Amino acid sequence: MGRKLPLFICFIFGLVMFAQYFSAHPTARALNQAILDYWQIVFAFTLIVGVFSYLKNNMTEMSRNKDTVYRAVGLLGFLSMPVFALIWGIKADTPFMWTFENVQAPMQSTVFALLAFFVASASFRGFRARSFPAAVLLISALLMLLSRSNIGGFFSDGLPQVADWIRNYPSMAARRAILIGIGLGSLTTSLRVIVGIERTWLGGDK
Amino acid sequence: MKTFEARHWTFLGLLVVVAGAMILNIKLDMRVSPYTQRLYDCIDSLPDGSVLIVSFDHEASSLPEIRPIAQSVLRHTFKKGHKLIGVSLLAEGTLIGYRLMQETAREYGRVYGVDYVYLGFRPQYIAAILAMGESIGTTYPLDYLGRPYGQFELTRSVKNYDDVAAVLSIADGSLTTHWIEYGQARYGVRVLGAVTAAMVTTYDPYLSSGQMYAMMGGLRGAAEYEKLLAVSGGGARGMLAQSSAHLYIILLIALGNILYFASRKKGRGA
Repeated sequence: MGRKLPLFICFIFGLVMFAQYFSAHPTARALNQAILDYWQIVFAFTLIVGVFSYLKNNMTEMSRNKDTVYRAVGLLGFLSMPVFALIWGIKADTPFMWTFENVQAPMQSTVFALLAFFVASASFRGFRARSFPAAVLLISALLMLLSRSNIGGFFSDGLPQVADWIRNYPSMAARRAILIGIGLGSLTTSLRVIVGIERTWLGGDK
Repeated sequence: MKTFEARHWTFLGLLVVVAGAMILNIKLDMRVSPYTQRLYDCIDSLPDGSVLIVSFDHEASSLPEIRPIAQSVLRHTFKKGHKLIGVSLLAEGTLIGYRLMQETAREYGRVYGVDYVYLGFRPQYIAAILAMGESIGTTYPLDYLGRPYGQFELTRSVKNYDDVAAVLSIADGSLTTHWIEYGQARYGVRVLGAVTAAMVTTYDPYLSSGQMYAMMGGLRGAAEYEKLLAVSGGGARGMLAQSSAHLYIILLIALGNILYFASRKKGRGA
């Protein structure tokens, strides 16, 4: 019974959501709206679970003297933002906005920008034409780099067009094949979940 | 003291190249790509006063690239007199979107509530996109600052996607895909994209199939858009730094390969 009830609920909701997709009847639309509202509410509760999990995990590790300073900084940021928002609000020129714009955004951009240094290093040390496929990849990458910068046209007006051709034919064909594969995979997995064949989401396959 | 290795020199080289390009600040002329032109023409051809949903579907990490992209399109929409409803499907994009809309609206003297409204963030993007297809006012009963949806002159006449000319997704990830799969496929709303360079090829199949109507990508797209608008912005400024970094990486690849083939030849000769 412990497993049958969630399977039954899953089957009913799967079927209803599938069927209402093909109906423009006001009842079907109202039902769709109600389920979507509940979906967002359920998701919001999962965020609360995440918040408590983060807090609990960090407090436990701090009590074991593991990375205490880093965890304290993490928790300080984690707790200060909601406090700022609750006391001063989230409009312009509030501590919340100031912290977001002058601490969080620059820090995240900095971490993201570090990628450029790794790319530069990897391009020198690893991007070698060791075989024919590697040479094809290398040439394609060079063409794309040139086309996405302002120097492609400097070499030849036709160069960006060659890069566009790579983007529009070989690259798109591969990507489209992957997307169709993902779509078919999602469809079969969804069907397996709805009819109860796929039960790993219940925490096991029995 | 630890000595410099090859990778440290490559890091230093990149720093010098990018910093040098930023200091020089030379404006490079460029050809406008057909992709950017299509997005520009689409927004330009909409009747004045059309309502667009602008969705800020990005994180703070991509702000240096996203800001010029978003600013260029927002400038165009406000210049044309279109009405904008701002939303965000990623929590981090919420504040950025609010700030960007405020700044750009101020440039063109646009009024909150009449020319634009910012609704903010809703969790679970698929549910949010689908729910807005039924009723935007029910999905967002309050705007970002807590005022009722129906209070504004702009939102009073906008029930769902039927009253919207297009959705413009400003994204650094795959969230635009959901606008296409649920907003376009289910409700038939026209989807436009303004995305980071890394995401351009992800959306090519949707662009080719017509599921996404138009798209511009990366700093280059922003610089092209600024050229079309005849305004000076972060896109053109950033292009020199990006182009210099690309050229530097191309040189590193060439150098790495020359050294590789030289060492292989030497190995065979020994």
